[in-house]
Amino acid sequence: MTLAVLLRAAIRRDRVTLALWILGTALLALFAASAVDGTYGDEAERVGILRLAVDNPAILLLRGLPHATSLPAFVFFQIFTWLALLAGLMSSFLAVRHSRAEEESGRAELVAATPAARTAPTVAALLHGLLANLVLGAAVAAALAAGGMPVAGSAVSGCAVAAVGVAFLSVGLLAAQFARTSRGANTLGVAAVCLAFLLRGVGDALGTPSADGTAMTSAWPSWLSPIGWGQHVFAYSDDDPAPLLLNLALAAGCSAAVLVLQAQRDSGASLLPGRPGRAAAPPRLRSSFALGWRLHWPTLVAWCAGGAAFGLFAGGLSGVVVQATETDPDLAANLRTIVPAGGSVAQVMIAAMFALVGVIAAGSATQAVIRLRQEEVHGTAELLLSTPLGRVRWFAGYLALGALSIVLVLLSGSAASGAAVLAGGDDPSRVADSLAAAAAQLPAALVYLGALSLLVVLLPAAAAALGWALLGAGVFLGVFGGLLGIPQWTRDLSPFSHTPVVVGPHTELDGGLWMLVIAAAAASAALVAMRRRELHD
Amino acid sequence: MREARADDEARAEEPQAENARPNDIVVEVAGLVKQFGRATALGGLDLVVRRGEVHGFLGPNGAGKSTTLRILLGLARASAGRVAVFGRDPWRDAVQLHARIAAVPGDVSIWPNLSGGEAIDLIGRLRGGTHRDRADARAYDARKARLIERFQFDPRKRGRAYSKGNRQKVALIAAFATPADLYLLDEPTSGLDPIMEAVFDQEIARVAGDGATVLLSSHILSEVEQLCDRVTIIRAGRTAETGTLAELRHLTRTEVSFADPGAGLTDARLAALPGAHDPRRAGGRIRFTVDSDAVAPVLPALAELDAHGLEVRGLVVAPPSLEELFLRHYGEGS
Repeated sequence: MTLAVLLRAAIRRDRVTLALWILGTALLALFAASAVDGTYGDEAERVGILRLAVDNPAILLLRGLPHATSLPAFVFFQIFTWLALLAGLMSSFLAVRHSRAEEESGRAELVAATPAARTAPTVAALLHGLLANLVLGAAVAAALAAGGMPVAGSAVSGCAVAAVGVAFLSVGLLAAQFARTSRGANTLGVAAVCLAFLLRGVGDALGTPSADGTAMTSAWPSWLSPIGWGQHVFAYSDDDPAPLLLNLALAAGCSAAVLVLQAQRDSGASLLPGRPGRAAAPPRLRSSFALGWRLHWPTLVAWCAGGAAFGLFAGGLSGVVVQATETDPDLAANLRTIVPAGGSVAQVMIAAMFALVGVIAAGSATQAVIRLRQEEVHGTAELLLSTPLGRVRWFAGYLALGALSIVLVLLSGSAASGAAVLAGGDDPSRVADSLAAAAAQLPAALVYLGALSLLVVLLPAAAAALGWALLGAGVFLGVFGGLLGIPQWTRDLSPFSHTPVVVGPHTELDGGLWMLVIAAAAASAALVAMRRRELHD
Repeated sequence: MREARADDEARAEEPQAENARPNDIVVEVAGLVKQFGRATALGGLDLVVRRGEVHGFLGPNGAGKSTTLRILLGLARASAGRVAVFGRDPWRDAVQLHARIAAVPGDVSIWPNLSGGEAIDLIGRLRGGTHRDRADARAYDARKARLIERFQFDPRKRGRAYSKGNRQKVALIAAFATPADLYLLDEPTSGLDPIMEAVFDQEIARVAGDGATVLLSSHILSEVEQLCDRVTIIRAGRTAETGTLAELRHLTRTEVSFADPGAGLTDARLAALPGAHDPRRAGGRIRFTVDSDAVAPVLPALAELDAHGLEVRGLVVAPPSLEELFLRHYGEGS
């Protein structure tokens, strides 16, 4: 009875969040199915791409394990690991949200004080997560089938995605038993999901190619990963759900451990003790900028890692793509829709990848400015601004933090790209191309920084939501608008559409310069307006 | 336009205020209005705090105490009226004024991933006077160590792990660890246990002894009675009363009540009770008030009544709560 009440409350609380996760994952599946159908309809083309993939560890790491040359099997190879990654993240966040986060906030004590059993909230979270993954699996299966894939294989794919999700649901619940804070538990959970993706990538990259070079048998590391297990159902060719038993066994083992631990420990306690902090502040913590840096750097590291990952692909794949486009003019045309300009295919490829690094840079700046707003809402800004620290200076510190974030993310991307170029023995001029492509992203990212800072001053209550929404809209229109056939004038609304594409001496720089002017104007207006703005809750 | 005019007035009056009462008035608020959209938080507040005094700012929740203190800190701007702190406009000259002010906000939040000790140091360093030179740093460390010990505070915990009382201690230790000319404290003892309240009282006595001015808000009358030289009572955004505690003596009368023994106790006999104010019958009980230092003489008189066959039962002698005070003097609770 109490279980039903708790379950209903959990579903009600998560209805929007989960709907977005599930819808997003299903849409990705649908896009993959329909896009591949249009681009690689020809068997010979697919064989060519698969041979290329088998030869190239970077593609295997990024995509999955080639197994068969049929179109649906090709789709599974392209997209499954990403769907599984999303399912893992969704489930791990869900688990922490309904366990450690509840204990940390003290809400769990309200529930524990009712006649609900000590383990009831955990059981409710488990059931809630199982239900969410069932719906996710069904949605993915339906999306793939709607994209023209065979129904049986789509069902197997859906089951595999759900099984990966369930495995990470239990891993997330276990992480919540260990970590003291929800932040710590989420870090453990995300690390587990990323490790699973990486283990499977390494295992796939180190595998043994088949005789005709279109398939791959993975090496043992793939068998240490729930995502690797899911991949081995080989939907649309083998359709063998047996490997999913491993996912379910892992889920059962972790859940049993969680219930045993939960029944024994105090409410709010954790297996890993919270580390005590410093008794006194380190000497550098003496300004609001230093505080902002202290609060922001752990997430900035993650943003930089994201930038470096895309940089790695930009540098590492540019050579491969040049080869691929020589045999496949459609691929070249596809790239041109993302980056409509002249230049060599390698330059265009690097520019296309760095468009995504630019998005990550803009995201890191958005988060830095939203942190300022959080300080204001949380009430800690009041402590700072009661000292001889002016509003404008406080605000300018966070603008500087945002700009620094942008620069660091872009530098990580170009450093990783350059390193990949050199390690792959490609044309060293692509190192310079990488640096130029990264620098070209600066104006669009700064436009986001300037616009959001103005929003925080003028519309503080709506700023955080608007900031992320504007970034999402800009990415959708500017980066994917070409692929989706959105009219040019609409795409031009996005700052990312005006990012210069560096193709040597004939590079069109006007868009970038104008964006720098706009960014500077917005930031100055924000600073002036901040002089007259009160502190809001 | 209205705001601009308020600013101009403040500017014009500044030098006069300094000349007329040199160094005497620390906080001067006259006809202060603050509107949030259509809601009026303050509707013409007057408040004067003199140099060196401990001034109590008393009112029920929602009366506008925090809003006033935020305006005095320059975190919010006056919609109309005159506000001066050390003769300057706190909105315009916030930074210069904050060099002389230590503040404790009403609802203290601290950074979840900073330890309490780090938060105290950060605030101290931003306030200045902690690291100009080695002697400075040593003096600050000594003051901080003394306060941490007196408030029995564990500085190593992370912000998210502190209870409300401990978050309050972070703000109090930070406020008292660097010297200031003016302390603006918004319900500073909320969340503190009685032992810590006593420590707080001693710190107030210490800074007042050093010549600092203190403005502290509270909704607890007894706290203000103990600490403050003068009191301003605020109700629904307006000043209801202001003066020394002696001047407000009528507000702090003790209420005496007992079960009404019936017709035998005539109004005349009731009025004859020594020191009894406002005697009345209500809800089956006799009620009257006596000055707080004149409770003792009433008790023999009541005993005498009892001896004459009029039973005095269910006797209650209660110091006035703020709520009663507001009910009694201003007709309503808020």
